[in-house]
Amino acid sequence: MTEKSARIIPPGSYPQMLSRADAARAMRTLRAPETAARAALVMENSRPALRAAVLALVARMEQAGADMARVHETVREIRGMAETAGLASTGRIAEVLCRYMDDMARIGHPPDQTITALHVSAIARAARAEKDDARMGERVAAELAALVSRKLTEARGGPGAQP
Amino acid sequence: MSGAGFENLKTLIVEDNAHMRSLLRALLNSAGIKDIADAPNGVAAIHMLRERKSDLVLTDMAMQPMDGIEFTRHVRTSDASPNPFVPIIMITGHTEKHRVEAARDAGVTELLAKPITAANLFSRIAEIVERPRAFVRSDNYFGPDRRRHQPEDYAGPWRRSGDFQDASVQ
Repeated sequence: MTEKSARIIPPGSYPQMLSRADAARAMRTLRAPETAARAALVMENSRPALRAAVLALVARMEQAGADMARVHETVREIRGMAETAGLASTGRIAEVLCRYMDDMARIGHPPDQTITALHVSAIARAARAEKDDARMGERVAAELAALVSRKLTEARGGPGAQP
Repeated sequence: MSGAGFENLKTLIVEDNAHMRSLLRALLNSAGIKDIADAPNGVAAIHMLRERKSDLVLTDMAMQPMDGIEFTRHVRTSDASPNPFVPIIMITGHTEKHRVEAARDAGVTELLAKPITAANLFSRIAEIVERPRAFVRSDNYFGPDRRRHQPEDYAGPWRRSGDFQDASVQ
């Protein structure tokens, strides 16, 4: 077989996840309103534990201080869990920091500690707020994203880059 | 009606975060999927797959010491893999293009971006049940056909230079 050749194995030729009879019943189960209702309850009941876990991660990220590798690793976990925990603002800001740190790693620069600290502080405030204020979170995330965009342009030596 | 169709389904959750593992298990339970094992990383999951048949795998992407991509590649291509065709849903907060492509090239069946919602999880499972994918075996890839909407009898022309040029149906 050459690199450009391939053998296609159709679905009927390998073992399926479910028998045909079970598949039809499974689809009805997945689409049933009572399944959706049970799942919604699961999501609701899981939020307090997830939220506590996000707060523990936030504390770990704050303790990481100037250890950028640890901040990066922790903020990734926060990003993955915050929105599932109902902390949309926290998730949005964590996403901005993740992208910044990913991009800086890609272009071979260490992340700016002040920029990182700003994000860490915003993430901590959003996560500890009594109520998730999605609109405020969006605004903060947008402002931080604009700042990050400028810093990335500078780091890449693009227009407006400071010497 | 509760759980009908999933009575015989054996599922494996591979996730290093205990809270997310617990959430996934509870969501699967809510759809009547009860026979669930879990593992905290890819290495543990490989051992688990050898000891216990699994019909469906849900795996996180970022784990230590073996991540979801390496685990998927092992399941698809290792001689020791008990079921290279097992559907794999990869759950990830990493939605950058290069990571999605790496997951696809390792042979994941479906990708589920975080935040996790029940609707998204169930829609990925439904996709596997309703539209099982053909598999492709080539010199450098084994896994679900990455050309998702390709009809089985499609003979070309191919859209990309890297597409398979003499694909044949087994």
